[in-house]
Amino acid sequence: MPEYDVINRRAPRLDAPDKVSGRAQYINDMTLPGMLYGALVQSPVAHARILGVDTSKARRLPGVRAVVTAEDGGEIPYGVSPARYDETLFCRDRVRYVGDEVAAVAAGDLETALEAASLIQVDYEEIPAVFTVEEAMTEGAPQLHERYPRNVCAEVHQEFGDVEAALMECDLIRSDTFLNKRQDAAFLEPNGCIAHYDLNGFLTLYTSTQVPHYVMRTVAMVLGMPVGKVRVVKPYVGGGFGPKAAANPMELAACLLSRKTGRPVKMNYTREQVFLFSRARHQFKHILTTGVKRDGTLMALKNACYLEGGAYASFGIATVYYAGSLLSAPYRLPSMKYDGWRVYTNKPACGAQRGHGGVAARAAWEQQLDIISEELGMDPVEFRLKNAMRAGDVTCNGFNMSSFGMRECIEAVVEGSRWKEKKGKMPQGKGIGMATGFFVSGAGYPIYRSDTAHSTVVIKLSEDGGTVNVLTGSAEIGQGSDTTMAMIAAEALGVPLDQVRVTSGDTDLSVDLGAYSSRQTLMTGHATKEAAEDLKRQVLEVVGNKLGVAVENMDVKRGLVVFRGDPPDFSALRNQYIKEHRGFTDNPNEKAPLTFKEAARIAYLEKGSMVGTGKYKPGQLGGQFKGATVGTSPAYGPSAQVVEVTVDKETGKVTVDRMTGAHDCGFAINLTSVEGQIEGSLSMGLGEALFEEVKFDEKGRILNANLGEYKIPTALDMPRVKALIVESQEPNGPFGAKEVGEGAIMPTIPAILNAVYDATGVRFHELPLTPERVFMALQETDKEDITK
Amino acid sequence: MKKLISLTINNRPCEVAVEPRQTLLDLLRNDLGLTGTKKCCDMGECGSCTVLLDGNPVNACLVLAVQARGRHVVTIEGMETEEGLDPLQKAFVEHGAVQCGFCTPGMILSARSLLERNPHPEENEIRMALSGNLCRCTGYQKIVEAVQAASESRPLRKEGD
Amino acid sequence: MLLPKFEFHEPRSVEDACQILAEIGPEAKPLAGGTDLLVNMKKKLISPKALVSLARVETLKTLEPSGGKLMMGSCVTAARLAESKTVTESFPALAKAGQSLGSPLIRNLATLGGNVISARPAADLPPALMAYGGRVILKGAYGERRLPLRDFFQGPGQTVLRADEILTALVLDEPAPGSGAGYMKLGVRQALEISLVNVAAFLAMDGRDGAVKKARIVLGSVAPTPVRAYSAEEVLMGERPTEALFSRAGEAALKDIAPIDDFRASADYKRAMVAVLTRRALREALEGARP
Repeated sequence: MPEYDVINRRAPRLDAPDKVSGRAQYINDMTLPGMLYGALVQSPVAHARILGVDTSKARRLPGVRAVVTAEDGGEIPYGVSPARYDETLFCRDRVRYVGDEVAAVAAGDLETALEAASLIQVDYEEIPAVFTVEEAMTEGAPQLHERYPRNVCAEVHQEFGDVEAALMECDLIRSDTFLNKRQDAAFLEPNGCIAHYDLNGFLTLYTSTQVPHYVMRTVAMVLGMPVGKVRVVKPYVGGGFGPKAAANPMELAACLLSRKTGRPVKMNYTREQVFLFSRARHQFKHILTTGVKRDGTLMALKNACYLEGGAYASFGIATVYYAGSLLSAPYRLPSMKYDGWRVYTNKPACGAQRGHGGVAARAAWEQQLDIISEELGMDPVEFRLKNAMRAGDVTCNGFNMSSFGMRECIEAVVEGSRWKEKKGKMPQGKGIGMATGFFVSGAGYPIYRSDTAHSTVVIKLSEDGGTVNVLTGSAEIGQGSDTTMAMIAAEALGVPLDQVRVTSGDTDLSVDLGAYSSRQTLMTGHATKEAAEDLKRQVLEVVGNKLGVAVENMDVKRGLVVFRGDPPDFSALRNQYIKEHRGFTDNPNEKAPLTFKEAARIAYLEKGSMVGTGKYKPGQLGGQFKGATVGTSPAYGPSAQVVEVTVDKETGKVTVDRMTGAHDCGFAINLTSVEGQIEGSLSMGLGEALFEEVKFDEKGRILNANLGEYKIPTALDMPRVKALIVESQEPNGPFGAKEVGEGAIMPTIPAILNAVYDATGVRFHELPLTPERVFMALQETDKEDITK
Repeated sequence: MKKLISLTINNRPCEVAVEPRQTLLDLLRNDLGLTGTKKCCDMGECGSCTVLLDGNPVNACLVLAVQARGRHVVTIEGMETEEGLDPLQKAFVEHGAVQCGFCTPGMILSARSLLERNPHPEENEIRMALSGNLCRCTGYQKIVEAVQAASESRPLRKEGD
Repeated sequence: MLLPKFEFHEPRSVEDACQILAEIGPEAKPLAGGTDLLVNMKKKLISPKALVSLARVETLKTLEPSGGKLMMGSCVTAARLAESKTVTESFPALAKAGQSLGSPLIRNLATLGGNVISARPAADLPPALMAYGGRVILKGAYGERRLPLRDFFQGPGQTVLRADEILTALVLDEPAPGSGAGYMKLGVRQALEISLVNVAAFLAMDGRDGAVKKARIVLGSVAPTPVRAYSAEEVLMGERPTEALFSRAGEAALKDIAPIDDFRASADYKRAMVAVLTRRALREALEGARP
């Protein structure tokens, strides 16, 4: 096991001092000279034809600088995946959900902009709307998009192995239906942006985003500008979790307004607008049929899933694939059939949210497997261990578990939670449950078809002082990626962490696909490592040349140049360095080993600008079948969890008392950050299991578009979390590292469901487990027991 | 019609002209450049806009600027000392209590107020004190640990020090 | 979210405040903590022409026991109520209700008076105040009137408070020894919650092992106003307290409510919870009566 100097330990985050002192600038903290404020006009009705848009009163309002509608631009279709570019910035003929954008204004101050927006008169002719999958798929239902009959945005039918044949060999077959609800990512920082189209025709968009690169391309495409003239810069971001992983209409509107007015234009979503925008978790209805042998061997899975997706596709075409493909692991499953339908409804569009299509599927299946193990008389832990995949296994749909610490994760939570002492012995009203999970470390392919590297990194060496600046288009959104890249760079270069700076989130710096599908540690990390090694080699080549030492016999460690065997006489280099630093008080003394600082200076003097570059692109992944690419990844991360709950049977209220989560992150670069991701994931999972649900009225309007009635856990709702790190050394990961940001959430909901069952004897097939839902189910069960 | 008000912000006297309908939050962020206090829900449901008003943590989005007349306001910018970050701020950094950072200023101020009243709180008291500050990133775990660590080492700092 | 424009007044006395309200009329609203009023203004549900801040009226902040009564100024914050020694010792259900209101941040702004005059059916303080037999003191240019809190509420957001009146104080009688009270709130989360159902109960016992000689049970969130569960109280009077008695009282309370299905919870669930919370509040009250 190699010894590392920087990585695989705890490190304070580079951005933490700015954040704890209030210095960190998020988009809404920024102003630009001459800045205007923008406001959107959004539909108040769920489905309507637009008969006319009258902007005259708005244009006449003093202080209004521009008004834009579909007439003025933004009619080029866009979306997330090119296969489903089904949105335009503004609606011309039709609005499809409450919140659909029709126009935007820019004015000298926000109040005027809002007033102008309210003066824009849109003549809506309401038409019938569909709000559920059933309504939308009914013959004769109103169609949201002409190209997609029966409102089916995307349809997937896959089979691996022969499920019917496999089921015939099963001793136990079980079918269950499961329903979650639409969620909201509820990041604390509402989306916001400042678009600045300058006098030379270059557009800079400052925006709270997870994906500067994709936003840049979408802006360029929709505005009809060359990509090279669009720059996206990400300031500090207050959380993303998925909805910020694509361009949004506010960003596009701001760009359009800035181009029109020649001034910077700032726009923000209010909290309510964040809910209207959504692009958060779909509602999934899963119908799962699983077959096993008497000894617990998993044989077959049939999975049908209906996704209620809202008015536009967003990430939905990927979501509908993930809802099937991610169940091919973490167990050895020889046959799997999946049929999925992602359906349009007249509600805000759903997209990708932490764990994407895997969360509801995992919740449904892990509960079902618990039911099955009980019916078989097997301990649920034994059932999981028996079927767990190992490193080297390949799923039936072609995913390669190049590293896979599933067993270790299960054992870690069993031990960490003292499962064996507690299972079957919980006091009245309390329960314990476990579950596992699985996720990708970055999508195998970019969202748009391309041969591009997924990450590129440039590391620039300062011409003096031996420090480096890691330039990366990757997105620090709070998960700690800047610090991770700094640590990787420092380790690979051989210098202490405090010699490394990171400049990130700017498309001018490098191409990076951004923070989504849990990719940056592995992919940006690889590119960073390669760039650091490249830079190191360049420096050592110069030094080696001058000292007559082969580069292979040199290295940099802890800021010093080290030699295999006896160090050569490098006094000439030292003297040159000291000559250039007369008056400096920190010059190395005669006897000291050769420092990287000196070597770097010498290399600069010899070669000029010293820049290391690195890039990463996964190899060819996945099979040849349709949709094979979705779910492919260079690496996969398993996770496991044990949860203890108390259920107050008189009120139905569920309290989570303890959570123990283990996640295989391959190799932890920053232990504190890995734990933080586990703890945060579990908190989001708890909220989704117990509290979170976006509620609509019969007209498609959100009833709880605020943080009082859309309930995320408070500090009193979260118990202590024991976060356990498993390291399986991923061969495809830099230093063996792979993801943690999304995988850790996967077992949370089913672990809670299984614990609630343990406490009450009742299974829940619908989320969230509000007190009312639990209470009513307990009542039903009591009634049944009485009548039996 | 604007009103001229005097108040103390981070121990400094301050005189500003405000419209009655302006919230303290907007005054701090828009007029005084104190953007450390964040706007997230603007309705008192999340705690991101927490400031100390005469030592008590409140949602600045629900306080009119005029109501702060003659009172002491402490924002996150007022936590630092001449020596640098306050021990509570340092504890947040050291214990990984900061991820996206948007809840952080509010959390720190709520925690500071707690520690001034109750220098050695139990875990439940910490969670109670922070229960009006939502966090979506951390699960609160390392925030609680940071407050615990700070409580063990922190000298009390009162208004006017 | 921008607030609409308004005139701002900061009287220093109740008299001045009443005068301003009388002059401007119903388009002027008193402002205390603002946690309800300002939120409604931001949502554009109301746009008063003028706000009359009570923050500088020192007499509204008193919290003083005297002569067997507790006089609570209407601008006393929920935080102060929750932390006050007097309230915690003599009126623990009120302290508990204050402690469960919103969040610590809200509690530092929200006032006793505000929580009462906003008249939200799910408000935390009114059930506890009514369980202790609270009375309101209203002042106007005409003088003063006092009435029991149960006569103050007319419907959601509606009270008998006139446009030119200020709620200046609430008065509670010091409970006699051998009495206790409880407050139960059911929400989905542990903080920042508006009650699904909340219940306050007050019991005065006839001696340590005696029967119930006085009972007040007040239910919140299950009717247009907080309501006295007279049917439940009847069940208790003169009886020795047992679990079974408290259960019967809980069931009887259902006769006094009219819950609705809303996006927070169904009427059926609220009904079931009234029975449960009534029982629990009575248990807590009994414990308080027999320390």
